[in-house]
Amino acid sequence: MNINNNQLWVKVIKKVRAWARLNSIWAVHFNSGSCNGCDIEILATLTPRYDVERFGIKLEGSPRHADILIVTGPVTRQARERLLRTYEQMPEPKFVVSVGSCSVSGGVFHGCYNVGGSVDEVIPVDVFIPGCPPRPEAIIDGIIQLLTHLKDGNPRPARKEQIIERGVA
Amino acid sequence: MNIEQNLQKAEQILAPWNKETTHPELNRLDASLAAENLRPAVTALHAARWGYLSAITGLDLGAESGQMEALYHFCSGPAITTLRVRLPRTGEATLPTIEDIIPPATFFERELHEMLGFKIAGAKSNDRLFISDDWPEDVYPLREDFNIEQATPVEGRHADETPEVGMVGENKFVIPIGPQHPALKEPGHFEFTVDGEVVTGARMRLGYAHRGIEKAAESRNWIQNLYLFERICGICSHTHAYAYSLGVEKLAQVEVPARAQAIRELVAGLERIHSHLLWLGVTAHEAGFDTLFMYSWRDRETVMNLLEQLTGNRVNYSANLLGGVKADVGPEQAKAIKEGLNFLETRIRHYLEVVTTDTMFLNRTRGIGTISYEEAEEFGLLGPTARASGLLRDVRVEAPYGAYHQFPISGVTETNGDLEARCVVRLKELLVSCFALRTILDNLPEGPLTVRMPRKVPAGETVSRVEAPRGELFYYIKSNGGEHPARVHIRTPSLCNWVSVLEKAVGRQLADVPMLIAGMDPCFSCNDRLVTTVGRTGERQTWSWKQLRQHGIEYYKR
Ligand code: SF4
Repeated sequence: MNINNNQLWVKVIKKVRAWARLNSIWAVHFNSGSCNGCDIEILATLTPRYDVERFGIKLEGSPRHADILIVTGPVTRQARERLLRTYEQMPEPKFVVSVGSCSVSGGVFHGCYNVGGSVDEVIPVDVFIPGCPPRPEAIIDGIIQLLTHLKDGNPRPARKEQIIERGVA
Repeated sequence: MNIEQNLQKAEQILAPWNKETTHPELNRLDASLAAENLRPAVTALHAARWGYLSAITGLDLGAESGQMEALYHFCSGPAITTLRVRLPRTGEATLPTIEDIIPPATFFERELHEMLGFKIAGAKSNDRLFISDDWPEDVYPLREDFNIEQATPVEGRHADETPEVGMVGENKFVIPIGPQHPALKEPGHFEFTVDGEVVTGARMRLGYAHRGIEKAAESRNWIQNLYLFERICGICSHTHAYAYSLGVEKLAQVEVPARAQAIRELVAGLERIHSHLLWLGVTAHEAGFDTLFMYSWRDRETVMNLLEQLTGNRVNYSANLLGGVKADVGPEQAKAIKEGLNFLETRIRHYLEVVTTDTMFLNRTRGIGTISYEEAEEFGLLGPTARASGLLRDVRVEAPYGAYHQFPISGVTETNGDLEARCVVRLKELLVSCFALRTILDNLPEGPLTVRMPRKVPAGETVSRVEAPRGELFYYIKSNGGEHPARVHIRTPSLCNWVSVLEKAVGRQLADVPMLIAGMDPCFSCNDRLVTTVGRTGERQTWSWKQLRQHGIEYYKR
């Protein structure tokens, strides 16, 4: 069948799809060698006090069903390939949220012999949430920023290379 | 028996092999041995039931002396006997294995091998446990002359070799679990061999969270390290900083003010409440009891609030300083903490009732993963896992440190040794903690919070042990008199408790595995997206950890 992007029904379906995606984000969590501090805070955001499920965000075990990948930790040598593999298994469109100072920059583990440095050296990252560990409010804020950004019809947030290209960072 | 008599006894036992004995500290005995005498000496200590093997530390004494040293630390109450074996640094530094005498030594020995290059003669397995699979042979990160260029990945090897999955012989299957899991914390990797439903073998791989902290510590100064060690584990961060500061203060011969000591115990108590409630939730989740999971995590927020009020942070509180603490407890905070404790106490009593009466939950816990007293001793278990089997391993009781002299804790034990007992022990322990915390708040000593700490710490070595929520945390600290530590060796309690998962899974239903792992409260997380299993009929299925968990839940519905 010939599908034309300008046809009304195609536009409607796209809208519906975007609406559905933004209201039922499934997240998969990957620990690339963190100290657990960030991981327990991520879990805390899911439990009654912070309850991100009210935004439709749900933690999912399998990367194959997930929309966003939440990564913590400074990416140890052994975890690096698992991280890549997990990322590759996710269906498009996919987004990556890097939680915690050590996943953003290596943090306190910068320079240790077994850590790579940061998540965005391995996979493209859309949202960085610094803090050691960031508070649950900060994590929610980061994810909601991603969602609003997408909701306004914007393209995905700029990648680090792109920022560097533009000479901003 | 007091410490001196106890150490004398150890000296007598070791006399036939002992080359030289010294008493570096009041509670420590150092005995130098030749490598060939190690096995008889360990056997003798073990046979005389003198304490338990707490850790093995490896030291590189540097190119000048051309030697390496392995330190076998045995602890009995507050007394510590260290067997020291020196070997040449170059060529074959071979130590005989002692894993057949003391099973948990397996992990310690592999660490010695991977980090420092000791050869372990007679070890059952030489699989890598900590460093990545693409790490070159004969490069050891904790050697003095190690630099990162030496560790360029070996061609043709992957950092994370895909495990062997599939049929291994008639009706046997290998199931990989790990290292990524939605609901847990740290990554670990297990491989279970199953025959139909029954687990017939278990293997473990760590190292996904191995960052190289011990090496990094050698290049940071004493104060920077406080913050580094705090980030070994975000769940028991205070305990790490506590153990480290106690050790460094001992080396520097600094006396910490009584008020600071009491506040340290206070934070440690609150941390234990947060950690155990967290654990209760995760275990309930694995059993399919999500209501309990959500409730316990809701209540945990009360403790998080208190910790935040007290220290300014929810996790990684940084309450410690070398020479004291930085957070004071004012009357308002004391009041808030007491109110919080009152609320928590009623909740904990409620949970205690739930875990001992809820039929569904009991189905998953009663009589499962039972470890007898003898086994607990043999496996060298620590913390609540040991106490559930009636073995009172609790540093706070056996070898009180800091404020535990003034505000003692009574040890809690159970006798059944199954998962139910582990739940009960942890919850009862919290009631004891609540009581102790109130006593501290009512009798908080007056005085300053810190004393001056020298920037350089005098040369020497010391051992510092602290009870973490999961068991005994062991720090060995060595100083050369400079601004940096010469060596810090850390043995965390989970490492010892893993043996019991591996041993206990064999022969159990696959459905019990998630609960068994959660029941140990190992500080790690596990799961793989692909869990493959084969039924008796030989038909293959691919499972995720979630499905495995579901399988466990369904299995017990029958
Ligand atoms: S950012 Fe801090 S709290 Fe988070 S994982 Fe890293 S070290 Fe731990």
